[in-house]
Amino acid sequence: MELKEENRNGTTLIEIEHIAKIYRMGTEYVHALRDITLQINKNDYLAIMGPSGSGKSTLMNIIGCLDTPTKGKYLFKEMDVSEMTDNDLASIRNKEIGFVFQTFNLLSRSTSLKNVELPLIYGGFGASARHEKAMKAMENVGLGDRVNHKPNELSGGQRQRVAVARALVTEPSIILADEPTGNLDSKTGLEIMNLFNELWKAGNTIIVVTHEEEVARFAKRIIKLRDGLIEHDSVNHHQRALTEEAQP
Amino acid sequence: MKINEITENIKIAFEAMRVNKLRSLLASLGVVIGISFVILMGWVLSGLDQALEDTFNIIGTDMLYIDKWEWAGGRNWKKMRQRKNITYDQATEFCEKIKSAELAIPNAREFGYKIKYKNEEYQGMSFIGTKWEHSMTPAGATLIGRHFTQFEDDIGSNVIVLGYKVHQALLNDGDPVGQYVKIEGRKFLVIGVIKKQGTMLFDFVDNQCFMPIKAFQSVFGRSGRSVSIAIKAGSIEYLDEIRAESEGLMRQIRNIKPGEENDFSINETKAFESTIEVLRLSVWGVGIGMTVLSFMVGMIGIMNIMFVSVTERTKEIGIRKAVGAKKRTIWIQFIVESAILSFFGAIIAFVGCSALVYLTATFLPKIVPATAFLSPVLPYELLLIASFVSIFVGMLAGVIPAVRAANLDPVEALRREN
Repeated sequence: MELKEENRNGTTLIEIEHIAKIYRMGTEYVHALRDITLQINKNDYLAIMGPSGSGKSTLMNIIGCLDTPTKGKYLFKEMDVSEMTDNDLASIRNKEIGFVFQTFNLLSRSTSLKNVELPLIYGGFGASARHEKAMKAMENVGLGDRVNHKPNELSGGQRQRVAVARALVTEPSIILADEPTGNLDSKTGLEIMNLFNELWKAGNTIIVVTHEEEVARFAKRIIKLRDGLIEHDSVNHHQRALTEEAQP
Repeated sequence: MKINEITENIKIAFEAMRVNKLRSLLASLGVVIGISFVILMGWVLSGLDQALEDTFNIIGTDMLYIDKWEWAGGRNWKKMRQRKNITYDQATEFCEKIKSAELAIPNAREFGYKIKYKNEEYQGMSFIGTKWEHSMTPAGATLIGRHFTQFEDDIGSNVIVLGYKVHQALLNDGDPVGQYVKIEGRKFLVIGVIKKQGTMLFDFVDNQCFMPIKAFQSVFGRSGRSVSIAIKAGSIEYLDEIRAESEGLMRQIRNIKPGEENDFSINETKAFESTIEVLRLSVWGVGIGMTVLSFMVGMIGIMNIMFVSVTERTKEIGIRKAVGAKKRTIWIQFIVESAILSFFGAIIAFVGCSALVYLTATFLPKIVPATAFLSPVLPYELLLIASFVSIFVGMLAGVIPAVRAANLDPVEALRREN
């Protein structure tokens, strides 16, 4: 009920209505998502939780336009994603969504700056605009002095910061993070979550997929999935604030 | 935007090649061989063409030769053997009566006799009895000494002008002028040497000796052979007119009734061209066969390595797609990479062939003089054609792997552990 009140104030970004995703594995059909209805507003900070096999990765892939639902309707900024072609989806991913992955997913042969520039190349920006925007994004995540380092010359936390910079560089509508602290020690993980907190306060919309309570505690709203259905969707009254000791 | 993408793709391709140097080299080996075939074949043929043209210029493109035999040999050989010889008198009559030609001279030829100089003996060349005007045709230009004069011609002096090869064989570069040679027991004074004119294909032109026709007849007899007539038109434009007059005149001299076929042939250098064309085509045919085969191998090599590349870089493709690369972008990336890989093979072939061609053209003619027609530099048109062909072959080889890369499901690709 509290949720609905908030919706009236915020602008709706994502509307998901009764979507389902069914995979075919040989002769069997797997219902990864059964019936999900969900609304996400601008400047939401959402954690999607659930045990493995609950469908949270599938939901993230659909929200991130990497995949399309088998059934149901998905409106992104009032555009019907379920009807889009691969090229349209690529274009939405490029402009509207910033991904942060558990395994960072950086191009190992390119410098961190080139990695951050990648979405801008596909967005059609010229070399100088690309350089400028990527530099800014690297400074925003506190890595202005690491632009010429390749991923293997950076620590895990720094790699994830580069990934965040890459997600931010196109100024997307949402930042979508899949287990962003999964490959980091707890201190570094905390640093990344603090970074998300700052980004949220600066007005970004953030969706974090995780199975760790520690990570979910930072979010404003927590959705719990089980067996392809939403088990629980509530505002997190114990949202964790920035912790001083975790500041880099 | 597209320029941006292409330059970015070229950078990616170079990066991929830099990382896998040996693999890229091996993958492009087929293309290296294919392009080498094209280049070397083109090089030999262009040298051949040049040599032919030079030879035609010596024989003379404005020359007609009336003969019992047809050069091109297209007609029935037996039928030509049954033709009556063109006698010396008929030839002389023709030369006196022809009006439109700049020059017309009879040539009597004998083959299979020896020429002796001191202890040296040479065989395998022909003796030609001709008129002094022979010196005015391209084939009569002298390198050393002089041709015989009208006076020597009139009285039938025993003077002889040696062909280049005959001179080399008998005197081994020594000064021949003033020396005596013996032919069928008769002494002849050497007065000059004809310029070297032959090429690989027509070295017989260096293997002839010229003497006044009267002297020729006193050695070899007056009859029993067919005399040919060399006609110099003065310019190619007059050839048709002269051919027509020659035909009429010759028919009249040989008493051919209207409606009967000619019992002689009017030859010109064009006749060679069709023969040469067959040779050229067979060189091309064999060459193209081998080229196509090696390009097939080259394509398979590149296609194979591109499949490996796509598999290895599945994760990278997933990342690129996640941040917004479209299918077409990924497709272009791999096509560009494949084309560059193939072009890289072509460049290796250019460098290798240039070195080979330079060395061959510099040193081979010292061992095999007949190969002197080869040029030490590759024609640039060939390099241009080879570049385009290699890029095309590379793109073709890259199509299937690139489509596979472009169609990868981003979710699946991101899950890959590489």
